[in-house]
Amino acid sequence: MADDRVSMTTGGTMPAVGIGYRAAINRWTRENLHRFDALEITVDHCLAGSKTLRSAIFDLVGRIPLTAHGVGLSLGTDAPLDLAYLDRVAEVVERLRAPAYSEHLAFTRVPGRETAALLPLPKTEEVAESIIAKVRTVQSRVPFPFLLENITYVFEWPDSKMSDAEFLNLICRETGAGLLLDIENVYLNATNHGFDPHAFIDALQPGLVKEVHMAGGVTISNASLAKPLLADSHSHPVPDAALDLLKYALARHTPSVIILERDDRLEAGNEILDDIARIRACVGAARSRKTHGEALVGAAG
Amino acid sequence: MAKPLLERQVSLIEHMSSEAAIFGRGDGAADLEGIDHALLRVEARFSYAKRMEKIIAVLPQTFALLGSAEAPVVRAFVEGCPQTTISRLENARQFYRFLSLRWKREAPDPAYICDVAACEMACAELDADDQEPDRAKDEVCTIRSGIRRCRSVILRRCAYDVRPIFEPQLKAAPVKRETPLVIALPRGSDRPQIFEVIPAVFDLLAALDDWTDPPALFMGQDFARLLADLTAHGLIEVRP
Repeated sequence: MADDRVSMTTGGTMPAVGIGYRAAINRWTRENLHRFDALEITVDHCLAGSKTLRSAIFDLVGRIPLTAHGVGLSLGTDAPLDLAYLDRVAEVVERLRAPAYSEHLAFTRVPGRETAALLPLPKTEEVAESIIAKVRTVQSRVPFPFLLENITYVFEWPDSKMSDAEFLNLICRETGAGLLLDIENVYLNATNHGFDPHAFIDALQPGLVKEVHMAGGVTISNASLAKPLLADSHSHPVPDAALDLLKYALARHTPSVIILERDDRLEAGNEILDDIARIRACVGAARSRKTHGEALVGAAG
Repeated sequence: MAKPLLERQVSLIEHMSSEAAIFGRGDGAADLEGIDHALLRVEARFSYAKRMEKIIAVLPQTFALLGSAEAPVVRAFVEGCPQTTISRLENARQFYRFLSLRWKREAPDPAYICDVAACEMACAELDADDQEPDRAKDEVCTIRSGIRRCRSVILRRCAYDVRPIFEPQLKAAPVKRETPLVIALPRGSDRPQIFEVIPAVFDLLAALDDWTDPPALFMGQDFARLLADLTAHGLIEVRP
């Protein structure tokens, strides 16, 4: 079999479209494998998942291109990285034949205590320097391209001085890391915190976006909140506004893969397939626009 | 001068793991640098929900049996046992240890819930990892031949026959009867199975925790046939 690591894109021009692999819909996923170009594997499931889960995941190697995504590194904890964990990640990425390894620009734990929630970092130059050093460590232990993912956050540290895009650009520029652009997170953050998501996408360095995440969440309203909060629950169809942002991003960036994340209401398989079709339509529209634009440029020249 | 980032991260996570943040009791931490407590509560609830989802996935029958006791039990667990890992199995182990201690102080209700929890935990342990078996012990083992209980076999001496809980087709309620149960992952099976064995076989399996010389266990003429049968069922392994 050809090395799937060479290119994740379909035909070299269009991003591959797929879903995050979830054990609860293993059978459904296999039955519908022909509908996806790629699957995203959570490397932590390969490290600490059940024997059944690990076996099911590794059985997919060679059947469909796989990408490797982590949730257990806690890159942003202000403490040394777990190098043994990274070495195990490297083994998994190799075994999955994944083209890259992605993790969140966040922290989830401190020594002795875990939240499993992706928490934001103060966006300052000092914190960025610390993260840059850690990303270099990751790159030295996991010999595959490393991608950082932007997270959604419900609160901000008061001492943050940089914008989301400035913070990401700085870290990626200094380390050569790529970006796994979570468009749902951009949409949620922009809505919850009142900034322009288009300006965020425009501000990202050209060529930075290597992969994309899409998802759909819920709105939380309760008396203690000043306003309703959009939450990244990965439970519902992708909102139209996020698909519009995807189109906007695809006009400016060329990711190799777009992954739909779904963690809840997994029984609604038709919703998942419908989202895949909507994402493919966005990809098709972006491609048409680019082709049309190139033709116009060619005619003018 | 600003506090070191780690110190600030510790304060934040300690607050988010607290009963105050998760269940909205009390004031919680006062010095969270102006971060909106209502927003932190939302984050804390997400984290708590994820954790409980993992535990319930491992111990579904136990949770179903907790019934109305679930809320106070879970609150006490959250208060006493903060999350230390994202591992589903480790969180379930933590909850199981918490329940086991609680059931030493308070009578379990229903009485057979501890046997159900023990069996569910055993199933999860078996399914968790086949890479962990006691390799170090194997390496230092000096016996060149012998028999031992397969690593994929867990023994539980239950006070109740709880198999109907795991086999709904039996359509019976657990009955109080000392029941020697074997939880095993038979060859070719992808799911652990729970079955009862006679006490003598249970005791034999319990004695075979490490490599043992068969003659030392000689118990009669049928012994070889029994060993062959247990080997065929994947309960013991033989090193020639």
